[in-house]
Amino acid sequence: MTDMFVSLGTWNWLIFGFILMALEVLAPGVFLFWLGLAALLVGLISFAIAMSWQLQLVMFAVFAAAAVPVWRRLARPTPDASASPFLNKRSEALLGREFTLEKPIIDGSGTMRIGDTVWRVAGPDTPAGTRVKVVQVDGANLTVAAA
Amino acid sequence: MSGFDIFAIVLVLLVIVTLVAGVKTVPQGYDWTIERFGKYTQTLSPGLNLIVPYFDRVGRKINMMEQVIDIPEQEVITKDNATVTVDGVAFFQVFDAAKASYEVSNLQQAIIVLTMTNIRSVMGSMDLDQVLSHRDEINERLLRVVDAAVSPWGLKVNRIEIKDIVPPADLVEAMGRQMKAERVKRADILQAEGQRQSEILRAEGAKQGQILQAEGRREAAFRDAEARERSAEAEAKATQMVSEAIAKGDVAALNYFIADKYIKAFGQLADSPNQKVIMLPVEAMSMLGSLAGIGEIAKATFGDGAAFAAGAARRGSVPTTGSAPPAVPPRQG
Repeated sequence: MTDMFVSLGTWNWLIFGFILMALEVLAPGVFLFWLGLAALLVGLISFAIAMSWQLQLVMFAVFAAAAVPVWRRLARPTPDASASPFLNKRSEALLGREFTLEKPIIDGSGTMRIGDTVWRVAGPDTPAGTRVKVVQVDGANLTVAAA
Repeated sequence: MSGFDIFAIVLVLLVIVTLVAGVKTVPQGYDWTIERFGKYTQTLSPGLNLIVPYFDRVGRKINMMEQVIDIPEQEVITKDNATVTVDGVAFFQVFDAAKASYEVSNLQQAIIVLTMTNIRSVMGSMDLDQVLSHRDEINERLLRVVDAAVSPWGLKVNRIEIKDIVPPADLVEAMGRQMKAERVKRADILQAEGQRQSEILRAEGAKQGQILQAEGRREAAFRDAEARERSAEAEAKATQMVSEAIAKGDVAALNYFIADKYIKAFGQLADSPNQKVIMLPVEAMSMLGSLAGIGEIAKATFGDGAAFAAGAARRGSVPTTGSAPPAVPPRQG
């Protein structure tokens, strides 16, 4: 077994790298991809410069660790591109919309009927029947102001 | 194996373990809380996230999707002391993963118990009839109360629905009988009302008919009277005209009329199929004879046109030869 690895030499890294990348597809976790890339890099370098296997391992560890900041930099340009940005964010979807108060806001808090349910709202004291605009959301709590 | 060999192998393992610990992929619909040495620090939203390995740990994985929980069956005593069995469903969604993780322990159980107690207090303040017919109002009140109560837990209850309200079997049976009795009562009243109405209508029809009949009789009597008046008037006029004619001295004409009528009447009498024997009073014959005498007197009185009168008398006497004179002149009109 060990003989086989030894006989393969530098090829081990390339094989290892591709196996990691394939595993990434099967079990997505992203870091396996970077480990695979690091392995490929180590393989290419050891083709050019003869190195002991221990050094190759250390290089692999360094590359793998370095992959994280590199990946963060690459990932930054598209932080949260989503076809529906308000998925699971029902209150954020209400931001900026206008509604009519059914019950007055007293002492800074009240309720407002939106769609099929009742939302807790906060804002300046306002009589019922006023049109208000959602200006801020914090979880399920909406802050409104007179529209 | 040298120390460097082992170091290199361990280093690689360490890096891999560190990466696994530091890179977190949160699936859509979930929020993960991060604890640094056991204390909450931040919430990871869906997508790729990095945390500091060894310091940070994933705490709770909170489902941020709207969830439905069954509110188990329970017995509720209404204001009028009826025991009903009630169950329902509640829909809620977590808006703040941190509060849902650490402000409450056993979130679902808390919601269930809270909803159950509120169902009891809301329905306990209503009569059975109200409970059965005001389901929307119950849902609305429950929603407001429970939603306000779960607010500190970072949740929002979107909907609470009472699924089934089951009164005890004997009560259901009584309700059925009550409804049936009510319908029967309504049917009876309607029938009685219909009868009353029809009888009134019938009586009114009879009344109207009698009135109309009486009116008809009255009208007929009026017309009869009028007819009699008219006929009397006509007779009077005829008599007047005859007497005027007589006054003008045409007595023979009078004789002619009387004789003419007499003959016609007699002829009719003779034509009658079952009256072949005619008895005539003697006086009638003599009266007929006297007519000529009347004519003579009139001629003597008025003098004027005597020749015509005589001629007329002669002509007037013609029927007397063949037939008897009438007892009374035929009525006119």
